[in-house]
Amino acid sequence: MRRNRLLLLAAAVAAAVIVVVALIAVGAGKDSKHTVTGASPRSTHAQLFTGVPQRGATLGSPAAPATLTVFEDPQCPFCREWNENALASVIGDFVRPGKLKLAYRGVNIIGPNSEQGLRAIYAAAQQNKLWNVVEALYDRQGAENSGWITNRVIRAAAAAAGANGDAILAASWSPSVTAQLRAAAREASAIGLPGTPTFIVQRPLSKPQQLNAPLDASGFESALAAALQ
Amino acid sequence: MNLRPAIAAAAVAGGAIAAYLTYVHYAHVAPVCTTGGCEKVQRSSYAELGGVPVALLGLLAYIAVLATTAVRGVAAAFAGAVLGLVGVAFSGYLLWAQLEPIGAICQWCLGNDVVISVVAVLCVARMLTEPGPE
Repeated sequence: MRRNRLLLLAAAVAAAVIVVVALIAVGAGKDSKHTVTGASPRSTHAQLFTGVPQRGATLGSPAAPATLTVFEDPQCPFCREWNENALASVIGDFVRPGKLKLAYRGVNIIGPNSEQGLRAIYAAAQQNKLWNVVEALYDRQGAENSGWITNRVIRAAAAAAGANGDAILAASWSPSVTAQLRAAAREASAIGLPGTPTFIVQRPLSKPQQLNAPLDASGFESALAAALQ
Repeated sequence: MNLRPAIAAAAVAGGAIAAYLTYVHYAHVAPVCTTGGCEKVQRSSYAELGGVPVALLGLLAYIAVLATTAVRGVAAAFAGAVLGLVGVAFSGYLLWAQLEPIGAICQWCLGNDVVISVVAVLCVARMLTEPGPE
């Protein structure tokens, strides 16, 4: 009986090893939807931002009464999820009508490779293409800290975003970009940033408030509409 | 020695942790955290497996372990042991992910690591001692 049970234990261990190897192979930590290639899987950036005023890190009319500050990390998969699922609706229903402007705050919470992406993003702000480049980088997002943000990826993202990739790379380490990164980090620290994405709504004559909302379009828009009332 | 009540209690504890993390995942809220890295871990790509939150998979696994304690016999004990060992091995992988690629530690994950280890030990002990037809 003792020998049979030990054989059973060996079988249980073998079964567990097979299951776990299969689970890891299936994809924990992998991103099946995105690649790190230079080709753009989407061609909607132009339509998404066409006709929407963009200046520096701000998207939308400067006269819009409310501001949604978005804290993101280019390596953050949930940030990408929000950008892919909800951003277009937010732009269409709130930004284009002039009710809201979006302010990007790039923060490095995932790893050193995030800084390379953030520098490119803030460098793109000098061409008023920050939001386009953010989107284009999310299209190419790879696994966290896999080193997917390279000069090649930045050039490809810039091209897809209609920005000048060489100028972005040249400006990435400029003092102004460094200053913007530090300012965003200070702002994040001041609010005790819990993670990314984090959304802060600022209405006229009101204190800024954190928006806890689902990342899908309808859920986010419902929460945003309620916060803006 | 009847180990089933102890396994059931540990499975309930683990299930509570997994249920909380599943709620955090779907509600998109920050988990209560003293280690500072819970949200980073929860929002990493390692928090999902094929699009399914690993916390939900853990919850289902704990429910399955609980179900095995409702049944006597070697087959149920074997199923519980496989589930426990799978849980330990996968938790080990996720612990590595926290320490290396993610670079942050989640207290809830560490709590789950402890609980699943207890579950696995108890389930293996049960499998080795469960009265059977042999």
